[in-house]
Amino acid sequence: MSGHDAATTTLMTTTVPTGAGAGDGEPEVLRGIGVSVPSAHARAKTEGTFPYAADLWAEGLLWAAVLRSPHAHARILSIDTTAAAAMPGVRAVVTHADVPGATTHGRRIADRPVFAHDVVRHHGEPIAAVAADHPDTARLAAAAIAVEYELLDAVTDPEQSFGAPALHPDGNLIRHIPLRYGDPEATGEVVVEGLYRIGRQDPAPIGAEAGLAVPRPDGGVEIYTASTDPHTDRDLAAACFGLDPDRVRVVVTGVPGATADREDPAFQLPLGLLALRTGCPVKLAATREESFLGHSHRHPTLLRYRHHADAEGRLVKVEAQILMDAGAYADASSESLAAAVAFACGPYVVPHAFVEGWAVRTNNPPSGHVRGEGAMQVCAAYEGQMDKLAAALGIDGAEIRMRNVLATGDLLPTGQTVTCPAPVAELLRAVRDVELPSLPKDTPEEEWLLPGGPEGAGEPGAVRRGVGYGVGMVHMLGAEGTDEVSTATVKVVDGVATVICAAVDTGQGFSTLARQIVQEVLGVDEVVTAPVDTDQPPAGPAAHGRHTWVSGGAVERAAKMVRTQLLQPMAHKLGMSTELLQIQDGRITSYDGAFSTTVAEAMAGKELWATAQCRPHPTEPLDADGQGDAFVGLAFCAIRAVVDVDVELGSVRVVELAVAQDVGRILNPAQLEARIEAGVTQGVGAALTENLRSVAGVIRHPDLTGYALPTSLDAPAVRIVKLVEERDVVAPFGAKAASAVPVVTTPSAIASAVRAATGRPVNRLPIRPSAAVAAPNS
Amino acid sequence: MQSVTLPASLDEAVAALTAMPAAVPVAGGTDLMAAVNAGLLRPAALVGLGRINEIRGWQYQDGHALLGAGLTHARMGRPDFAALIPALAAAARAAGPPQIRNAGTLGGNIASAAPTGDALPVLAALEAVLVIVGPGGLGDSGVARREIPVSHLLAGREMLRPGELIGFVRVPLLHAPQVFLKATGRTGPGRAVASVGLVLDPARRGVRCAIGAVAPMPLRPLEAEQWVASLIDWDGERGLAPEALEAFGEYVAAACVPDQGEPVAAGVLHLRRTVAVLARRALGRALSS
Repeated sequence: MSGHDAATTTLMTTTVPTGAGAGDGEPEVLRGIGVSVPSAHARAKTEGTFPYAADLWAEGLLWAAVLRSPHAHARILSIDTTAAAAMPGVRAVVTHADVPGATTHGRRIADRPVFAHDVVRHHGEPIAAVAADHPDTARLAAAAIAVEYELLDAVTDPEQSFGAPALHPDGNLIRHIPLRYGDPEATGEVVVEGLYRIGRQDPAPIGAEAGLAVPRPDGGVEIYTASTDPHTDRDLAAACFGLDPDRVRVVVTGVPGATADREDPAFQLPLGLLALRTGCPVKLAATREESFLGHSHRHPTLLRYRHHADAEGRLVKVEAQILMDAGAYADASSESLAAAVAFACGPYVVPHAFVEGWAVRTNNPPSGHVRGEGAMQVCAAYEGQMDKLAAALGIDGAEIRMRNVLATGDLLPTGQTVTCPAPVAELLRAVRDVELPSLPKDTPEEEWLLPGGPEGAGEPGAVRRGVGYGVGMVHMLGAEGTDEVSTATVKVVDGVATVICAAVDTGQGFSTLARQIVQEVLGVDEVVTAPVDTDQPPAGPAAHGRHTWVSGGAVERAAKMVRTQLLQPMAHKLGMSTELLQIQDGRITSYDGAFSTTVAEAMAGKELWATAQCRPHPTEPLDADGQGDAFVGLAFCAIRAVVDVDVELGSVRVVELAVAQDVGRILNPAQLEARIEAGVTQGVGAALTENLRSVAGVIRHPDLTGYALPTSLDAPAVRIVKLVEERDVVAPFGAKAASAVPVVTTPSAIASAVRAATGRPVNRLPIRPSAAVAAPNS
Repeated sequence: MQSVTLPASLDEAVAALTAMPAAVPVAGGTDLMAAVNAGLLRPAALVGLGRINEIRGWQYQDGHALLGAGLTHARMGRPDFAALIPALAAAARAAGPPQIRNAGTLGGNIASAAPTGDALPVLAALEAVLVIVGPGGLGDSGVARREIPVSHLLAGREMLRPGELIGFVRVPLLHAPQVFLKATGRTGPGRAVASVGLVLDPARRGVRCAIGAVAPMPLRPLEAEQWVASLIDWDGERGLAPEALEAFGEYVAAACVPDQGEPVAAGVLHLRRTVAVLARRALGRALSS
């Protein structure tokens, strides 16, 4: 329990103490942990000079285009590329027959063909690729490839998948977890049931996928792309190209937005193949439509719940069935399902839980890792159930949650003890007790922003305000025995430090954090982070807050090793251990103050290197009863949503989201605030507008007009009321990942507020206007 | 793209289109260029209309305004325009984010004829007439003009012929309240689920209303218009009881959103309710302002 109020003040005012300047008269430099050090890329990104993959160029490059399936499910009878290959300007056409190595790939299970050849299993599945001297030629040639299909019935309802003919040689069931915890016969005095449906959210990165592949003289290939997991992408590519992994190099360019696994292998692999085939650099920049078709989405999920509680509203038993639509291929579905099942009851103490989860194959667009996956879908459902219980018992929504909150030392339904800080009660109290935003009637009428927008159809008389709560949780790092390891090198030459670590800065701010860590440990001002490529040792994918924890830990260790190298000679001369020397404000001082010098002086003329690894404590897979210590760490969040609903039109405007979050320790206040605001906004999209619709498996409107991301008018005021700093002792710096848990919690809080405003059940996300209409005001 | 021509006058534009029958005229390009970029359209040549000053403003013509087809949404949204034709100004302000409004034009909205085009229900309610310029005139310029009601073009009863362009849009100046409302899925700019343009015409003692986005073209509920106009005291307060407004909304909705078989789908019911609310609110706002 340390200084959360102080932390809040710091965040709100952002008047943070600055580190000492390098010398008199120079501007003060922000440095070290706990300070809002700005991103090194901020200026280039705002000025539009930051290079992204779509900006890359190479002498003599060719342009690639990918032919994708227009059908959700069809047998391929023939593929004729002769017309395309004969077009002037076309340099190569590749299909499944041209894949020299493994013909299937997958981040977790290799079940996805590089190019479909016998069957296409989803709309947008790649069938062939073309390289040509002009992007238009490449596209026209791709369109000229004649593919003869025999249409097959598309399985688009996951409930039908169980009984449908196998869509894939591996069968339709990707994973089934039957979680059994406690006494199946237990019953409560109050029972509520609910059926919830969660739509298909797309990560919709603001920069679409792009890449450049350059053949190497040694027969290998270099792929320049905005990968978030370069080593996995390299291994996939090498296997498909039939090359040793060290002959494929993935170089990470600027990442234009990533809240999911970025860079669909379905175009990286053709790109590399075409470069190897033609001997020329090949570039591909996906259109928005291709981007929507290619990358993976959040799992659409169907959830059936039954909650038992006693007369005081304390939970007795939770029964749930969770059905996740994986699309045609496994990808990360197994992990997503584990999170959904393990967190099916939410951050509440539940003595008895029986949860069955399935991830099944369909012919819908592919699902995969999108931040908060699994946890977000169940949060919408268990929080809906808490609202139902509150209504059934006549208890306030915040109160019923308060009576059930989880704390450190409690058990999850997986049998795992919560050993990390779990300040759920404190978070919930913080959002409950903060004052509500003023009502429109207390402010001048021209300042009202009604549902429907400025000058819209909204009418004050039809607007009802609702207040609702959501409490959510996520796990951090890979689960169920994934080997989490990251390696970092810190080098100091003449007082300038460089961090070499293959952790990709996807916008989450890892490179800023790495600089802060080195500044803190070594007292240097100037720290640069090296560009990432696969010649560096792996750091793992940028997901589940991994880099803050694992890569940040590796950077800290390496920096400490450099510190020892730096201080050792001095300590030896002074006849004391290095622990008795401290580095602060750019100076090295002995414990007794007798010795003092500047860091710059001590480092002059020296070159110091150190490499270190960080590997958190291991986890174990869930067993046949869904039991096991599957997670390294957990993070929690509570949100109070205030919404205005025009109950005649069903239009919803989120007025304010009050957020309290369990962050462990604030490493960079400004960056943390930005992460929370970004997460909340993504949650607003999932709650109200974001749903990639498909009809019979075919995506409708794959564009940003049809797929409505929140605009600045849709994004509410985000009020961070409390950041609880209870350090997680096993995490480096005690910090918890901050991005995913607001995404998970926001939709449930908004749904709860819309329920309060309309009295409607609101059991579907996104909330459609027809679900938010109610009888006009009485 | 083989060529881009940038004529400085309508006459030149017509000449250019006549000379290159495969050329496509482009004004703001907010629909056209998106289709080109997506590879859906590959025009052999473009005739850019952005430099034709005569269609970028408006003039007055015996009780009407003759609006240039090149007026942008941003221009129509300004207060001076709003004082003339309030509903068209409101529709222009609702027509997407600023980048779109700065580029997109009145003529383009009509030529694209997207069901969700925000200006279209207002033009239908105003009974606007399009001034079409095209080849074949007898004068020196060789340019002819003809007029067709906007509803005829939108319904496909009359089409633009080769070489023809929408030059101007003639709308009456009614000096009475007008309202445009739309329902979208969000607070920020979005495509209309349903929209309504409603104008009062005190001189002819009429209420004219059109519903957009629910059908391929704006729909006019003529009977509902006549019925409600007969209830209004045109020489007095012009107000209506809430029940009458409600009935008008229901009347409009029943006319514009038909049942599509039994049982009526939930989506149809929601759309009909939305149209009823919009029509009711639009009339209420028009009569109370």
